[in-house]
Amino acid sequence: MKQFSIRVVVAALLLGAFAAPALAKVAVGEAAPDFTLTDSNGKPQSLSQYKGKTVVLEWNNPQCPFVAKHYSGNMQRQQADAVASGVVWLTINSAAPGKEGSMDGAAANAYVGKVAAKQTAYVLDPNGTAGHLYAARTTPHMYVIDPAGVVRYMGGIDSIPSTDKDDLPKATQYVRQALAELKDGKPVSVPTSQPYGCSVKYGS
Amino acid sequence: MSPRFASGLCLARSLIGAIRTGAILSGMILIGAIATCAESVAAPVQTEHVRVALISEKNALVPGQRAWLGLRLVHEPHWHTYWINPGDSGLPTKLAWHLPAYLQADEIAWPTPQRFDVGTLSNFGYSGKALLPVALEVAPTAKRGSIAHVSVDAKWLVCREQCIPGKATLKLSLPIAATAVTHSRWQHVFAAARAAQPLPSAWSGSARLAGDRIEVALSGADLPSTDQLDAFVVQRQVVGYERPRARRDGDSVTFDFARSEYFSAPPAALDLLIVDGGRAGEAARSVTVPFAGAEAGSPRH
Repeated sequence: MKQFSIRVVVAALLLGAFAAPALAKVAVGEAAPDFTLTDSNGKPQSLSQYKGKTVVLEWNNPQCPFVAKHYSGNMQRQQADAVASGVVWLTINSAAPGKEGSMDGAAANAYVGKVAAKQTAYVLDPNGTAGHLYAARTTPHMYVIDPAGVVRYMGGIDSIPSTDKDDLPKATQYVRQALAELKDGKPVSVPTSQPYGCSVKYGS
Repeated sequence: MSPRFASGLCLARSLIGAIRTGAILSGMILIGAIATCAESVAAPVQTEHVRVALISEKNALVPGQRAWLGLRLVHEPHWHTYWINPGDSGLPTKLAWHLPAYLQADEIAWPTPQRFDVGTLSNFGYSGKALLPVALEVAPTAKRGSIAHVSVDAKWLVCREQCIPGKATLKLSLPIAATAVTHSRWQHVFAAARAAQPLPSAWSGSARLAGDRIEVALSGADLPSTDQLDAFVVQRQVVGYERPRARRDGDSVTFDFARSEYFSAPPAALDLLIVDGGRAGEAARSVTVPFAGAEAGSPRH
């Protein structure tokens, strides 16, 4: 665990030094970078601890209208269904302290309770470490990682970029689709899509 | 300008228009004009952080001619709305028209956007006062003397650091007449919108995938110097949105973009706006270049 933390710190330093070009690291078919962060209950959460399981990463900002659209029920249902079938679902908040949507553990737990979210853990990333590692740009921004630790999907949660709940029934839910295809041993038919949403509120 | 003055102006113009077109000044027309004039200048709607209005360049629609309407966006300081390609986040403004059969609205004639960079994230859009112009084709069969009721459902996302979705249904009633004059109130607004339109360039070129970069080479007369060049790409999932590097290669200028992580297949063609920051006030140039297949010249993995 400690080793991974050091790697994250080094990666963060490198990212800081080289800025944008270093962002384009995560790619479908390649190994997902590891991170170790703390969740809303103070427990460490790393990607590597879930080796052997499918993992969904979801970037979150409770105050973003795109996030609110999907938390009208779509996101919670997908979380519940995924977790019920053995998938690990990590919701990550990369807002810097003082920025919109930034929360401590207690506030995050209150939010999770209020919206009845069903993720495995709500992960706090106030330094933007995991966010920069994955080049997460929007809330929501979604990644699906297979049990071998390989990225199988990255992009938007669905096919209709909007803040309008009425679009949900018409949209293809890419994460749900990717999880179903992975479960059936099929290739992911839509492995990338344009992420859409609010920008992730990183610190400067 | 007060709404009262605007309404009075409109009513007077409608009456003059009616007299000119030889229409009978019946009570019906007069009442119609009074009822609709307040709208025909514009009906601004103040929403959170942006005031929106549907405006018409001219006071009437002329059968067989093209008219220009526009969605006027007056943003609060530091707030912005988005271009057709919003960049790393955001949403383009959308318009859905409800029109009589003799009218047809074109797509938004997008003005050249501004770049908004925050850290490693880039967006394209508009701040301050902006106009999204839309051409309205008026069929020759449109009946002079009647009133066209035009309605548009506008949806936008307005952001500072936080983002707020907005929507409004905006209505305009315009007389159909033999002639039309420009509203003095909006003359400068439409003139500014025309100046903000990119001009088609005569440059030719091509785009190609080069590893994790995308290169766009342009050649032709009058190429700008590379010092302060920027380029905005209309299509999504092709390039990264940070400012591309521009270099002079003999007789051509090459833009070096990061490849989008969400690039899946080369589009048939790429539409770009080229903005020369060194020539303030000069219109951006638009250019469409074919996209060479991934095989052409790029290293194989």
